[in-house]
Amino acid sequence: MTGISRRQVVANYAILIAFSAIAIYPIAGVILASLYPRGTNPSGFSLPPSWNFGNLATAWTEGQFGMYVRSSVIVATVVVIVSTVLSILGGYALGTMRFRGATTVFYLFLLGMIIPFEAIVVPLYYDLRALRMIDTYWALILPEISGSVAFGVFWMRAFFLSAPRSLIEAARIDGASSWHILWRVLVPLGRPAILTLVVLTFAGSWNEFFLPLVMTTDPKYITVPQGLSLFSGRYTTDTPLLAAGAVIVMLPVLVVYVFTQREFIRGMLSGALKG
Amino acid sequence: MAEIVLEHVTKVFGGGVVAVNDLSLEIRDGEFMVLVGPSGCGKSTILRIIAGLEEVTAGEVRIGGRQVTDLSPRERDVAMVFQNYALYPHMTVEQNLGFGLRLRRMPKEEIRRRVTEVARILGLEELLPRKPAALSGGQRQRVAMGRAMVREPVAFLMDEPLSNLDAKLRVQMRAQLAQLHDRLGTTTVYVTHDQVEAMTLGERVAVLRDGVLQQVATPQDLYAHPANLFVAAFIGSPPMNLVEATVRHGTVAFGGLELPLPPGVDLSAYEGRTVILGIRPADMEDAEVWPDPSRPEIEVTVEVTEDLGSEVNVLFGVDAPPVAVEETAAAAEETFLLGEARSIFCARVDARTRARPGGRVRLSVDPTRFHFFDPATGAALPGRAEPSAA
Repeated sequence: MTGISRRQVVANYAILIAFSAIAIYPIAGVILASLYPRGTNPSGFSLPPSWNFGNLATAWTEGQFGMYVRSSVIVATVVVIVSTVLSILGGYALGTMRFRGATTVFYLFLLGMIIPFEAIVVPLYYDLRALRMIDTYWALILPEISGSVAFGVFWMRAFFLSAPRSLIEAARIDGASSWHILWRVLVPLGRPAILTLVVLTFAGSWNEFFLPLVMTTDPKYITVPQGLSLFSGRYTTDTPLLAAGAVIVMLPVLVVYVFTQREFIRGMLSGALKG
Repeated sequence: MAEIVLEHVTKVFGGGVVAVNDLSLEIRDGEFMVLVGPSGCGKSTILRIIAGLEEVTAGEVRIGGRQVTDLSPRERDVAMVFQNYALYPHMTVEQNLGFGLRLRRMPKEEIRRRVTEVARILGLEELLPRKPAALSGGQRQRVAMGRAMVREPVAFLMDEPLSNLDAKLRVQMRAQLAQLHDRLGTTTVYVTHDQVEAMTLGERVAVLRDGVLQQVATPQDLYAHPANLFVAAFIGSPPMNLVEATVRHGTVAFGGLELPLPPGVDLSAYEGRTVILGIRPADMEDAEVWPDPSRPEIEVTVEVTEDLGSEVNVLFGVDAPPVAVEETAAAAEETFLLGEARSIFCARVDARTRARPGGRVRLSVDPTRFHFFDPATGAALPGRAEPSAA
């Protein structure tokens, strides 16, 4: 900490603590509320009179979250795996290879990032209906893949552009094909960037609300955000139970983040600092 | 092992930049060839063309008699050492060394044998389990060398492999490289901007400028018989003193000094005209320390002395305009800006000299080692006792 005065250190911590508080307050609030006795009306940010962990179990069974989580896991897993692989391949091509139309393709991908589902959902619905995909996982998986590949390609392209060129050339001279260079040299190097993409894609898919709302009516295919919405419609007055439902929904994303946060931060900073 | 032949190779980059211009060069089997020149002269591009990392715009490349112009790097069987080493950061030293062999599906036993052998030669045994991040600069450099050696390629291509090392380590590694080449005898193309590296390592040296080959010769030959002004100014440290001089009745005159033309040199075609005279600092000597009645002398006023211990650089002014040819401007890494109408000469004399700044000193010069260049073309002038073997 040389060159930084004590006052600056204090100020730094104060600012960081303030921002952390802003981020953590609602999460902690929901978790605390979920532990209140059922039927009470927790207000503000206070400790519950007794710790009612049973609420989580009740919400899980009453809200049929088991079914919703199953759907969400299936959708998110397929979306994360397929879109990560596609993003790596697309980013690799756009980031390391020169070919005719590369710029156009890249801008097309950018367009995909800019256009929201809301803008295309009506034609998309009719297309998927024509393909008999409404009320199947495909109605969620395919549009979500296309949505996340746009950002994914953009993200991986940035990583491949920042990868040292001489490393790629060294591998070429060592006799590696483009395929080998990608999987045996660049992907191991890009772990932080790829894990970050995985976390972001997973969170995006897990939290997707609008698409399942339009594309699914069969409860079998409903994912957790919409499940939570149905759940909250039924238990409008039981705040602790609603909060318990919310905790169930956000827990997986939190867990994934906690397990990958070190690499996640490295990924976010990659390119920002000279290694 | 193989010879490398470049025939009329031209490389034009997007935007019309001509990096290599109709270059023909033959690198013999087992030869250590150094490509040298100032930055931007195209030397790295040539190396990358040989490696297959750049495509040629025109011309052809042959390695070991095989036409490789359109082949990919891996089909050419050459190995390259990069300036920044380009080690795979997620692999251990052992994996770095074996990567190319594993890609070629070599049997595990053979890979282990070769990696161990190369590690032994380069003193890397202890480092095999480490990752590149845990290595010093010199160690990384050796791993990069090892990665090239382990493949037993037909040729090594080295792109300024020593330039990221500190001065002392660079000298050590330079010696090791020379030893290694003696031992392996693999054709090597070595790119550097450092003329000392070029002179000490190269069996032959190719001097390049703006993508055009200036001269290919042994280091001694380059030094003694530069083909043109650019090579003369680029090779040698301190650089050759260059001055405009007038040819008159068997003498050359510049800045109030007059020296006889060496015997056997015929500059009659330039009688009464200006030529560029070049004198190497080492071809002048303090006449008091080494009296030699056979050599003509000049007496000058010392401006600066640089005592290097073993010898002394004596800098003195000459009342003649410095050679403002573009060639020297491009080549000289340090230009003296001490007034426009005067040139600063450097003489490298015996350490026992008594020359002091402000004092006078008598210098004997060796006319047989004078160099003459045409002021218009920069080409070395014929008529020397020994013709240049360019």
